[in-house]
Amino acid sequence: MSGQSQRLNIVPTVTTLGVVKARLVGATRGHALLKKKSDALTVQFRQILKKIVSTKESMGTIMKSSSFALTEAKYVAGENVKHVVLENVHSASLKVRSRTENVAGVKLPKFEYFTEGETKNDLTGLARGGQQVQACRGAYVKAIEVLVELASLQTSFLTLDDAIKTTNRRVNALENVVKPRLENTISYIKGELDELEREDFFRLKKIQGFKKREIERQLAAAKQFAEEKVVEKVSLQKGISINAAHNLLTTAAKDEDIIF
Amino acid sequence: MYGFEALTFNIHGGYLEAIVRGHRSGLLTAADYNNLCQCETLDDIKMHLSATEYGPYLQNEPSPLHTTTIVEKCTLKLVEDYKHMLCQATEPLATFLEYITYGHMIDNVVLIVTGTLHERDVQELLEKCHPLGMFDSIATLAVAQNMRELYRLVLVDTPLAPYFSECITSEDLDDMNIEIMRNTLYKAYLEDFYKFCQKLGGATAEIMSDLLSFEADRRAVNITINSIGTELTRDDRKKLYSSFGLLYPYGHEELAVCEDIDQVRGVMEKYPPYQSIFAKLSYGESQMLDKAFYEEEVKRLCLAFEQQFHYGVFFAYMRLREQEIRNLMWISECVAQNQKSRVHDSVVFIF
Repeated sequence: MSGQSQRLNIVPTVTTLGVVKARLVGATRGHALLKKKSDALTVQFRQILKKIVSTKESMGTIMKSSSFALTEAKYVAGENVKHVVLENVHSASLKVRSRTENVAGVKLPKFEYFTEGETKNDLTGLARGGQQVQACRGAYVKAIEVLVELASLQTSFLTLDDAIKTTNRRVNALENVVKPRLENTISYIKGELDELEREDFFRLKKIQGFKKREIERQLAAAKQFAEEKVVEKVSLQKGISINAAHNLLTTAAKDEDIIF
Repeated sequence: MYGFEALTFNIHGGYLEAIVRGHRSGLLTAADYNNLCQCETLDDIKMHLSATEYGPYLQNEPSPLHTTTIVEKCTLKLVEDYKHMLCQATEPLATFLEYITYGHMIDNVVLIVTGTLHERDVQELLEKCHPLGMFDSIATLAVAQNMRELYRLVLVDTPLAPYFSECITSEDLDDMNIEIMRNTLYKAYLEDFYKFCQKLGGATAEIMSDLLSFEADRRAVNITINSIGTELTRDDRKKLYSSFGLLYPYGHEELAVCEDIDQVRGVMEKYPPYQSIFAKLSYGESQMLDKAFYEEEVKRLCLAFEQQFHYGVFFAYMRLREQEIRNLMWISECVAQNQKSRVHDSVVFIF
């Protein structure tokens, strides 16, 4: 990434300034919301993690006890009880359904199991071992419960992990890239606008000065003209030269004795 | 003629009785079981077993060893012993030995029939059958679509034919639950075996009728307890009880109407031999009932060896081996699953 805080390449006008300001406001608000979402997801994440640890431990013990129940059943009902049960089954009676739950905006999958249909194996081991076979069945049903729960917990864990990473990425992007960029753009636009204003001002001032000098010059020209007119009149009246009249006028102002 | 077997038994049965008694002395003792219970891994178990009769069967197994492999190899030994005895036997001992395996045959037939019903592969099913219960035409069971065909094509040639007449008329497989079929067949088998032993007479009849009655009663109790709360009706339940044994007929009447364990206990406590078994259980608990039954069975089987010149020793030997294999399976599973504390829950010491 070249230049961490570049600015956008747009024309620095007042309208674009307004647009970029609005975007900055949006970015700030989005940043705050996403941060909240990330925090909520992290809380959920920690809870799920705790549950996973405890479920895994219980699964260890339950699987152990269910394998032992199987051994007891095999002891009493004979080694073949496994084959007898397996051959007698043609569709599963315990099935798993999945549905999605919405947690802080993230869709998490959840699994739950349900029993479908009666099992025909109620009478297995009728002559010997029936009790142990049913106990084994119960133990394995419990094991399936725990396994299904563990499966939903683990998938939620992975999905949440993903969601948290994405959200955090967005938060960081907003904080470190988008907002500085927008702020830089705003300051650039403002700078450009200020400069334009200064230029305008300078131009104005210059023109004003120009105009003032123009006016003074014109005033001076008009005065000169008026003076010359007077001199001409005097020279005409007195029959002297313009220069002499001119001198007369100019000195006359100093000589008090001469009265005309 | 009871009492004069000593004169004539050894002519035909002497060699095999000696063989069976030799095998019996090779069964694992309490010391062996104690050693096995101390093992930490399955390799330790394999090492301990290599010093027993199971040695040659296990020594070629690569580690990591699996519990099912151990059980398989031990069963293999049992099958080999049995086959050796069978081919040396004359009538009627040969028929007697075959009778012992009909139970496994029934299990295999039921397994293949259910598997075929649900369209499983035949080869896979054959691998899952118990080796003692195999017979030649077993693979053709897979082609049958309903019971009529099954009977006509396959079963009529097997020794199980007479047992099927009780439960099959023109019903399709689906109508009757597989377990009910299995238990009906087993009931017919037990009754047939009982009659055969009675025909043999003498010490065999006496000892075998004791053992078979115990088996029948035990099945009746188990069926009652396991069918509490299921869809099995009382009449169906009654149909599955055998028509001999200590509980016949009054015990069966009472068992048929039992609705929970305590009622069963109440019924059984009227019969002294079973009173002691039920005294071991506390109220409302039935998990240990199976183990209690196994212990009682082992006691009776060991008593069968006390007498000579009868066929009961063969039956007792086969059953004791099966119990031993069960013990080995239990110990290996406990060791493999790290549940050493439960090892002594279910091991039944034979001596």
